[in-house]
Amino acid sequence: MMPLRRWLRRLLTYPAVQGAGPFVLLVALWAVVVQLEIYPRTFFPGPQDVLRSFVNLVYKGVLPTYLQDSVTRLAVGAGAGICVGIPLGLLIGLHPASYRFFWPLIIFFQAIGDIAWLPILLIWFGFTLTTMTFVIVYTVIFPMIFNTALGVRTVPVEMIRAAQSLGASRWRVLVEVLLPGALPNVITGLRNGLGYGWRALIAAEIIVGTSGIGFMMFDARRSGSVVEMILGMILLGILWYVVDAWILRPAERATIERWGLVRQTP
Amino acid sequence: MEGLVIRDLSKTYYDIYMGQHVAAVEAISLEIAPGEFVAILGPSGCGKTTLLNMVAGFIPPTRGEILLNGRRIQGPGPDRGVVFQSFALFPWKTVLDNVAFGLKMRGVPREERDRIAREYIALVGLDGFEHRYPHELSGGMQQRVGVARVLANNPDLLLMDEPFASVDAQTRMTLQEELTRIWETRHPTILFVTHDVEEAVFLANRVVVLTPRPGRVRESVAVPLPRPRSWQHLIEDPDYKSLVARVLGLVRAPA
Amino acid sequence: MTPRDPSGVVAAAPAASRPRAAARRLEAGLWFAAPLVLLVLVWAAVVRFYHVPLRVFPAPADVAGALLQQARSGALAGHSWHSLRRVLVGTTLAVASSIPLGIAISTNRHVAALFTPILRFFSVLAGIAWIPLATLWFGYGFGAITFIIFNAVFFIVLYNTILGVTSIPQVLRDAARSLGANRWQVLTEVLLPGALPNIVTGIRTGMGFAWRGLIAAEIIATNAGLGYMLFLARDFYRTEVIVLGMILIGAIWVLLDRLILAPIERRTIERWGLTRAVA
Repeated sequence: MMPLRRWLRRLLTYPAVQGAGPFVLLVALWAVVVQLEIYPRTFFPGPQDVLRSFVNLVYKGVLPTYLQDSVTRLAVGAGAGICVGIPLGLLIGLHPASYRFFWPLIIFFQAIGDIAWLPILLIWFGFTLTTMTFVIVYTVIFPMIFNTALGVRTVPVEMIRAAQSLGASRWRVLVEVLLPGALPNVITGLRNGLGYGWRALIAAEIIVGTSGIGFMMFDARRSGSVVEMILGMILLGILWYVVDAWILRPAERATIERWGLVRQTP
Repeated sequence: MEGLVIRDLSKTYYDIYMGQHVAAVEAISLEIAPGEFVAILGPSGCGKTTLLNMVAGFIPPTRGEILLNGRRIQGPGPDRGVVFQSFALFPWKTVLDNVAFGLKMRGVPREERDRIAREYIALVGLDGFEHRYPHELSGGMQQRVGVARVLANNPDLLLMDEPFASVDAQTRMTLQEELTRIWETRHPTILFVTHDVEEAVFLANRVVVLTPRPGRVRESVAVPLPRPRSWQHLIEDPDYKSLVARVLGLVRAPA
Repeated sequence: MTPRDPSGVVAAAPAASRPRAAARRLEAGLWFAAPLVLLVLVWAAVVRFYHVPLRVFPAPADVAGALLQQARSGALAGHSWHSLRRVLVGTTLAVASSIPLGIAISTNRHVAALFTPILRFFSVLAGIAWIPLATLWFGYGFGAITFIIFNAVFFIVLYNTILGVTSIPQVLRDAARSLGANRWQVLTEVLLPGALPNIVTGIRTGMGFAWRGLIAAEIIATNAGLGYMLFLARDFYRTEVIVLGMILIGAIWVLLDRLILAPIERRTIERWGLTRAVA
């Protein structure tokens, strides 16, 4: 029989264990705390309760619908934010006059924040998808603009000159040098933007929503069902992990890592 | 009129911190015939890189004119290829695509430009590495790609800005020998900027020494050493050594 | 020519040009304000030209009127103070806890292995998602909102601390050890100063999130503060108060960030002889 220590060390070398290990510990700790009834069960439910609720809601068809709604809103909002944010970022990154004009406006509007727009949006559009999409687009746009602008500005000038002295026209320099060069930063911007967009979505759903995970969590608050609140939070965490591991990191691997590039910290 | 003609070239900057105009380069006149290998030497800060950048068309001169084959220089272009100290390879392109870049800009179809690119990759001794990315190569190899990329574009003038300064000493000697070999077979016109006296005398037909800032032409020294040249021979050659000593004296002389 | 090293950073300005630097900063301030002023003019023109009713959007004059009215009644000062207070308390708590943890994670392999996956998971839940639970545990008002703020700042400062400490070249730590520094001294003499620029950047960014999260939290979970003022006005369709609130929220943050936080950040970076383009 192998000594316990060596067996543990061997176990720890598996990446699955390294990734999931801390969570397993956390859940175990959680279950213990609940079992000891340190907090009343209604305020602080255990993993079993949450799991039971999860199964229940999936069975009722509620959870898949909410999930789909939330994800759709995020996708639409993020898509629009990217389509506006990247070109605008390119413009202010490359055109000094545009930079001078737009920069103060961008800074000011970013400072207002997405949520502060809700009251006026509710007056204009009411409790609709338009309102929520606006909020998400608003949040995603700013990191996209900043990071795209940073990306094009930090392309080494020698690379641009190299392309010029090899006969590249201005358009070619943009497409062949500036855009790929900016890509690591654009992906960072996307990562940040999606993160904020997610959070804005939840906030909007809490305040405005009729469906979605955020709504589910706040509704649970009103009916005092802590289980669903925690379930919602866990789902959010898992969803983000999925976006990170299956969308963002593969994108980074295919570009940044393959090209051996380093990201500029803004 | 063939070749490079520089007439009364000056470049002045406005230094915002000092609040005054500073001359980097003053009244330089220089002529390079086609097929010549000219090295520009000078102490640090003497403006030799500024001179090269003006010939390349990256920065405009304050006064004077630059003519290549009878035409004024207006901005960068494929007739003046540049090899950079930092290599400036495109990290998102393979070696093959990097070398083929200039050809792609000119609209050469893929098959032909890849064929030409492969020739030049072989010329610099990197065949087999066509599909690697720059970050997978050593410094010396990256610079070879830089040279191949420029040569593949067949420029009228080859500008080299301290191209071997970022590479270790032994690789540098190898690259210098390879460069002379390429020049001795193909005779491109080369303007080579460096601070390394021994390198300049090894490579060039003619060494132009600049004064400390503001850079002016101090003297132009012919290098009649026989070719082909190699480090193993020249290192003990008395003619080489006395030339180096003479040029070194010129570089270090006070303004 | 100003000395320029290959990485493109420029040496800081010498002391002799201070008055010139102040004049330049004033000029920069004016350039900053210009597009905003232009925006206000366009706004006024659009409202007048299209006869936009007050119910839909106020004119600049209406907003100015609301400003005077709210200021006079003291409501403005009250709400602003509530908001700022929550931000300050939450930020202080977050900074005090995240920096030690960040240092521990960057210097100890085991701590890092334990915390990193968990933190990545929880970081997305920052702020808003905690609101329902936070109000249940801490009740409405100061407690819950401060928790939201804490959450927003904590993770950013943590990540920046980790980034700052881990990007200190190992050679510096080795040099300190070989000059006789013990572990505590390496921490205080090498790690903290070296990570400080990143930490300060983190605090600045974190406070930005905190400010925005604050507004959302105030809308949902309290009865005082600028966010609350905003939502209350909505119930009465008082668009001029809403827009006033929005402008104030934006302006307070811009001033706080540009006049206080950004100079602090710039100065910590300048102390080490580097200046960067600070957004």
